[in-house]
Amino acid sequence: MSDQPKPFAVDIKQLKSRPKDTSPAAIQSVDRAGEQHGFVARDATARRGRPPSPRTGQVHAKVLPHIADEIAAEATRRGVTQGILIEEAWALYLTHKSGK
Amino acid sequence: MPVVVIASPKGGSGKSTSAVLLGTELAHAGAQVTMLDCDPNRSLSLWGERRALPPRMTLLADVTESDIVKAIQKHDADGGIVIVDLEGVASRLVSRAISQADLVLTPMRATTLDATIGARTLALIGEEEEALGRSIRHAVVFTMTRGIESKQHRGIEASLGGQGVDIVQPALMERAAFSALFEFGGDLRSMPAQGRMEEAIKNASAFAQAIYQRLTEAAQ
Repeated sequence: MSDQPKPFAVDIKQLKSRPKDTSPAAIQSVDRAGEQHGFVARDATARRGRPPSPRTGQVHAKVLPHIADEIAAEATRRGVTQGILIEEAWALYLTHKSGK
Repeated sequence: MPVVVIASPKGGSGKSTSAVLLGTELAHAGAQVTMLDCDPNRSLSLWGERRALPPRMTLLADVTESDIVKAIQKHDADGGIVIVDLEGVASRLVSRAISQADLVLTPMRATTLDATIGARTLALIGEEEEALGRSIRHAVVFTMTRGIESKQHRGIEASLGGQGVDIVQPALMERAAFSALFEFGGDLRSMPAQGRMEEAIKNASAFAQAIYQRLTEAAQ
């Protein structure tokens, strides 16, 4: 006879799920019960407004005044930022450089 | 799958340590265990990133207030156990998780502050039982206890017991191996020896058995 206790083993047949109410009404009543005891919503709510632009890279190019005016006018006409025109110009430059 | 929600609005009460010990010991004993990390501090995720999860364990991170009920429901099926580790604040996430629990476990250090703040969880459970029209089993486990119980510990235990609160025996003692779980990951059996490992394993295993017994009783 050994004095060693029997190793702990889980009988998975004993592990039964019990039905729980997940209806919106039940959750609402749980939220109300929680609020009475100070268990309130703490998740950050979504920010309102326009999502932040991915265009955060800054270039510091000075161009001749008439070219600056033309770039500004073209951006206004197309309803885009001047940065988009610079990106397009850069893409054209790369294409030209690669000889395609 | 029985759902064990580990809840206390008090930070540093031993929720994540209790969750990892419970999960790893139950998985070692043959249960399929799903751990839900709902704590923005991501304690369980940090543990899970240290090394591969022990066999039969799954860890889901970043569960929030809006998806907690669905996340529990998705994994709540026969044959395994879901363990939900919550943040140490009073939040809607906590109250929603409790609504889906088969057992709410409140870890508590044997101090008046922990007992006072932890008691808010017990009050909330009572309120939710009324709102949902079903009983939710709950228990308190003392954590980080010493070999010799303090007078304060005995007083708090007697007070809770007198109010009919179910107290898990054994308590989780203060052990180097328990805190080292978050340094090495895995379970007590796979980590390098830390202090008196045999005693630590015995303590954790007995704790898990006590919880398992409550889960099987709740299912009957």
